[in-house]
Amino acid sequence: MSELLEPAAKRVLALLPVLLGVSVLVFALTAVGLGDPARAMLGQRADPELVEQIRRDYALDRPIHVRYAAWMARLLRGDLGTSYHQQRPVGEIIAERLPATGRLALAATGIAIVVGLGAGVAAALRPGRLLDQLLMGAAVLGISTPVFWLGMMLSLLFAVLLGWLPVSGYGDGAWAYLVLPALTLGAIHTGTIARMARSSLLEVIRQEYIQTARAKGLAEWLVVAKHALRNALIPVVTVIGIGLADLLVGAPLTETVFAWPGLGRMLVAAVGQRDLPVVMGAVLVFAVIYVFANLVVDLAYLVIDPRIRRGR
Amino acid sequence: MRGGRLLSLLCLLLAAGPAGAEGGKPAGTLRGVFIADPPTLDPAQATDTTSSAVVRQLFDTLVELDERLQPVPALAERWTVSRDQRVYTFVLRPGVKFHTGRLMRAADVKFSFERAARGKRPWVFEKLVGAPAFIKGAAGEIPGVRVLDERTVELTLEAPFAPFLFLMAYDAASIVPREETERLGAAFATRPVGTGAFRLKEWRRDDRVVIEAFADHFRGAPHLERVIFRIIPAEITRFNDYKAGNLDVSDIPTGHCRAVKADPVLKGQVAIWPTLGTHAVRFNVEKPPFNDRRVRLAVAHAIDPTAVVEGLLEGCVIAGKGILPPSLPGYNAAVTAPGFDRARARQLMLEAGFPGGRGLPPITYHFNTGDLNQRIAELLQAQLKEVGITLELRRLDWAAHIKVVDEGAVTMFRQGWIADYPDPENFLTVLFHSRNVGAAGNTSRYRSPDLDRLFDQADAMPAGPPRIKLYQSAEQRILDDGAWITLYHYASRALIRPSVKGLERSPLSTAPEFLAPLRKVKIE
Repeated sequence: MSELLEPAAKRVLALLPVLLGVSVLVFALTAVGLGDPARAMLGQRADPELVEQIRRDYALDRPIHVRYAAWMARLLRGDLGTSYHQQRPVGEIIAERLPATGRLALAATGIAIVVGLGAGVAAALRPGRLLDQLLMGAAVLGISTPVFWLGMMLSLLFAVLLGWLPVSGYGDGAWAYLVLPALTLGAIHTGTIARMARSSLLEVIRQEYIQTARAKGLAEWLVVAKHALRNALIPVVTVIGIGLADLLVGAPLTETVFAWPGLGRMLVAAVGQRDLPVVMGAVLVFAVIYVFANLVVDLAYLVIDPRIRRGR
Repeated sequence: MRGGRLLSLLCLLLAAGPAGAEGGKPAGTLRGVFIADPPTLDPAQATDTTSSAVVRQLFDTLVELDERLQPVPALAERWTVSRDQRVYTFVLRPGVKFHTGRLMRAADVKFSFERAARGKRPWVFEKLVGAPAFIKGAAGEIPGVRVLDERTVELTLEAPFAPFLFLMAYDAASIVPREETERLGAAFATRPVGTGAFRLKEWRRDDRVVIEAFADHFRGAPHLERVIFRIIPAEITRFNDYKAGNLDVSDIPTGHCRAVKADPVLKGQVAIWPTLGTHAVRFNVEKPPFNDRRVRLAVAHAIDPTAVVEGLLEGCVIAGKGILPPSLPGYNAAVTAPGFDRARARQLMLEAGFPGGRGLPPITYHFNTGDLNQRIAELLQAQLKEVGITLELRRLDWAAHIKVVDEGAVTMFRQGWIADYPDPENFLTVLFHSRNVGAAGNTSRYRSPDLDRLFDQADAMPAGPPRIKLYQSAEQRILDDGAWITLYHYASRALIRPSVKGLERSPLSTAPEFLAPLRKVKIE
């Protein structure tokens, strides 16, 4: 276990400059981007004096480096600031949405891993056959279909026409509400994992030690599960980690189509309103999730392949 | 009421007794929908229609507007207006309760107005004596709001202002209980307490707002037991939810109007009615080439609005020529505007020194994000090309768009206008008086001392035909000057289930938010 702790600690330390860089970048982008948060707050008719007063109240009239320093000082005290629009702590706003996004991301990842890996293995065991072609065709479709369109089609079929599932919303956390958003969000990821699992497994299956295992008379499922799959997993795990970015990118669209009350939708609305503290907070949370997911992937390498752990 | 000084004008109106309104025990749930989560439920802070839609159900104002947009008593059971049209004296209904059970008093009116005057819509109160100084923080109170006794409040204006009663019906002028706002501070926005027919039951961010009947409302309990506003940002999802039977009211998605009207099931549920808005193409008249009236008129003659109304909007909006929409007092059906006439457009370009468009650099047309706006922009681009004008399209999201428009950094741009209250002043004075140049409304940066005088005169006149005539003459002059091109007047397009009764379709009410009083609605 101690073999894992040291590299894990190193990677956690390496995260800090990454997060700092993300915060500087996002702050700079929001500051130089067009649009005035004070004006955006006041609807179609704005009193210019009130606009100026709001700019003063929120320190929007101060230089960007001063504002960044103030934001960072608050962040170090665990305070993400207050939303311009909602007049509430950003931490509270994010905490309200985090469970919904977490459920959706976990469900989508679960679907992607189970279905993607299953399809990839099944296709690899019968390369060139009809099943392989069907599964890989479906995988390409999943990767290339726009999330928004796929969501609308699934909703039309399963919710409006068949009436099996709800069209949209969070319900009271009922599973039925999760199915279509998770399938939609997981689609791209499923296809990528399936294709990677297939190609990786095919490569491993052709190696000599697999032939040896078969020659020993081991059952085919045992050869695949025990000897081939483990070695084929490294690139698949990498894809799972990278795929998390797809989930984060896809989340706002999926949440919009299915009226899912998550972080992605909140971020899109906050950008439109120029609610900078909320934008900063949400992006930072996304960055932390992404970076930590990659940390988990790195640690998974160490678990799956002892050679990496030993530095070979 | 106060000797000869006051002219007793009106309104001894019956305060509907508690059993009346709606009588009986509230029952049924209305399932409505919003496009976005309301940012706030505090009437002093709200600036968007979603927030207003909830605020109007949770709070009351001194007066309210009926379906014909006439002021009728609400918290005030009657009022009088002084002979010089500057002093309004409101007598409050007895026995009005806040949701906490506490009785409302005249002092609550003063507190609410002063609190809201330092909120996001100070212009609602700026006509009151001493309000500008108070709004700026230079005074401790608004002397124009006086509490005469427990049930009487007197409002004094700096100058007569005919639409003042409309302002008193605006949701920014809602009455709030002082102790709750002080106890809750900023949290009042999420735990609002009013006197409205409904009170807040639940607010799950980005998911739903639930309000429930307030049995002690001064008009009696509403018919409905509960209203659930789902928050669904995608219009096609709202449509699917309506079709799946999950919503009782919704809007009609862009591009589906004709199909819905032809649908055997849905056609009986379609409701389309005019609202108080106009979609327009505007110019920054300070910047070349649109500081030249001939170029503005050339563009106006080159545009065919029927292609927008019939082609893009399937005839589900109202074609128009003038600035004022048909549902607004002062609408002039006889107004004339430069019509679609390419030969005239080419002639004007020639006169302006740009024969066939030669010598005229490409013009950037700014518009805010939205599929419809994009399609309109492309249509305008094609139409203007016919007379030699090259249009480059610049699409920005609303916050960025409004900033460049307010600052005058654009030359030609899309900007509609929706009246806050039904008076031509809220269109013409706001949009074209030189004191409002920029963010206050006059984004055309139009300056005409003559029109300013005309607006000042009309704004201070008592309501009536002579006042309307002044606004109509101003509207004609602006159109003749090519400062505004109407593409169409807004209409609200909704789907309403037959079981929903009593949902007002006034020009102030827009789908899907339905700003109408839901206390009148029942589910059968």
